Amino acid sequence: MSEPLSPLVHLVDDDEAVRASLALLIGTVGLRVQTWADPQAFLDGFDRRTIGAIVLDVRMPGLSGLTVLDTLVAQGVDQPVIMLTGHGTVEMCRRAFKAGAAEFLEKPVEDEQLLEALQHAVRQHVRSRERTQADQAARERHAQLSEREREVLGYIVGGFTNKEIARALALSPRTVESHRASLFAKLGCDSLAQLIRRYAALVDEAAP
Amino acid sequence: MKRWLRTRGAWWLAWLGLTLAGAAWLAQGELLRLRDAFDTEARIAHRLLSQQVVQHDAVLVTLALLDSGATNARPEQRLSSVYPSILAVQRREHGADWSDAAHAAALAAAETRSRASHHPALATLDLPAGRYQLVIGAEPTSYALDIDLAATVPWRDWPMDPAQSPVRVALEHGDQRFVIQPGRAAEGRWRFGMRKTLASESQNLDLVASRGITVADLPWGRIAAWALAVAALLGGGRALQRQRTARRRAEELLRLGQVARLNALGELAAGMAHELNQPLTAVLANTQAARRLLDDDEPDLDTARSAMGQAVTQARRAAEVVGRLRRAVERPGGGVQPVVLQEAVHAALHLLEPECAKRGVAVRFDAAAQAPVRVLADPVALEQIVHNLLMNALQALEEVPPPQRRIAIDASAGADTGTLRLSDSGVGIAPELLPKLFEPFFSTRAGGLGLGLSLCETLAGEMGGALRARPGQAHGACFELELPLAGRNATP
Repeated sequence: MSEPLSPLVHLVDDDEAVRASLALLIGTVGLRVQTWADPQAFLDGFDRRTIGAIVLDVRMPGLSGLTVLDTLVAQGVDQPVIMLTGHGTVEMCRRAFKAGAAEFLEKPVEDEQLLEALQHAVRQHVRSRERTQADQAARERHAQLSEREREVLGYIVGGFTNKEIARALALSPRTVESHRASLFAKLGCDSLAQLIRRYAALVDEAAP
Repeated sequence: MKRWLRTRGAWWLAWLGLTLAGAAWLAQGELLRLRDAFDTEARIAHRLLSQQVVQHDAVLVTLALLDSGATNARPEQRLSSVYPSILAVQRREHGADWSDAAHAAALAAAETRSRASHHPALATLDLPAGRYQLVIGAEPTSYALDIDLAATVPWRDWPMDPAQSPVRVALEHGDQRFVIQPGRAAEGRWRFGMRKTLASESQNLDLVASRGITVADLPWGRIAAWALAVAALLGGGRALQRQRTARRRAEELLRLGQVARLNALGELAAGMAHELNQPLTAVLANTQAARRLLDDDEPDLDTARSAMGQAVTQARRAAEVVGRLRRAVERPGGGVQPVVLQEAVHAALHLLEPECAKRGVAVRFDAAAQAPVRVLADPVALEQIVHNLLMNALQALEEVPPPQRRIAIDASAGADTGTLRLSDSGVGIAPELLPKLFEPFFSTRAGGLGLGLSLCETLAGEMGGALRARPGQAHGACFELELPLAGRNATP
């Protein structure tokens, strides 16, 4: 499931020296860094599929960091965003977190703090991407079920025995048993527990 | 025009309204007074004339009663000399005719009426000429009086001056009229009038008095005085209001100024934070990256070296920012000039007088007690120092109850320096804090910026002087400001 490349951190700051030094610092823990001087160029150009995190300076000419953050959230970008500011106020901090920032750090920033925040953010992102991909796979498998198999799955997740299901659907227990075996195979599950963990949410979603 | 209406229209309107109301009241009062005077004068005139004509009746009755029959005595012929209104007296013996042949018939008719009524009767009446005849029929002799009305009027007791008075007085009977005084009854907006018959049955003439009041009769002098008084009053009120507005505006401006200064300071701090934080961020990131690189098992020395170089460059950049900032906020050095210390204290005290009064702080400063101490100073800077020291003292005194809030100030001249001593009765300064007192951003007050005393010390230093703090004698704090004397020629 993991990406072939190591995680990539996007660093957006208008100050050349800050960009260079932070990129160097972040690079020391093995994270790749892509730097952006212009926030608009970053919004237009960065690869939204990459695994990693975004570091945003609040005070930039043109687009402020908070505006960029709002835009990213509106576009459904899932990379965690770490805000950096030289002159943070409580109000600014509150706005950033409300908009969905993962972390809010003050300049000059301590290396431990920044790197820890970045690693934490990257781990979070990796996990959330994995979850998304698993969800996607489960959805695809669930779509392959027949109408009857989906009904049977609903009863299984609801905790009914084969006999009870056969009575409810006016089928013979043998038929229910064959549907059951078929849907376990289609969904790629070996145990009832696995089936319930992966597909209970989808069953709830499908039921009106 | 609109602006004029808004700012002054109301005042002018108020003036006009008050003036008109006052004028109406004054005119009303004057009219009442004139009416009263007219009524009184008319009544007096009626009474006097009634008394006079009644005398004519009395004279006739007396003549008839006293008639002695002594044909030669004829005392009645002397009556004219006693009563100027009686022009002549006629008598008619029983069986004889009236001597005045022209009016004999009228006289005879009146005599007949008189006999019937037992009262004198009017025989002839010629009011335009002011003449009439009065007859009494009696035995053995009847009498008649020729009366001149003009002489009847008792001018000595008359309540008016007939030539000047505006009141017209006349006697009327039927269509005839005798004018006693012309007055000016015809003119005028307002009219007073009275008609009353004389109190004599025989001479039932009507006394008619009338008077016209013209606009000129109104009390213009008093009305003008009233208008002026109202104008003066409103003018005073307006001036007072403007003064109050101006004071309020000044206070507002002062407050705004303080807010603006605080805002400017905040803006400066934000700008400074950003300008300094960028290079500091780079310095920190570079050095920390270099340390991490050097900690590696196989250190990447080139990259670490380059990072350290970057850190040095960025540290210089931060230093430049600080230098630029200092140059930007550098105070223009005001020139020093001879200043009397006491006067600077006076100016600062004057500004803070309301503050002292509000907090109940007693300030002891006897400028006259010491000779004026002339020092070399920038007057603005000196005043700012004194102002800041006073403000500090006032704030320190908030910690003690009002009866103990005292500030003492005195100025003295030394060999070549003048010293201003300012002590308060507050809680004083802890000895361990004394050395830090003049450091920037050091404050014992919650929310204090800690720039006041630091600024004062800098200012004093720039003028070649010094500012020191020491514990007060009993309690509280004492600040000493020392400045060079002006040309060493201070008054002894």
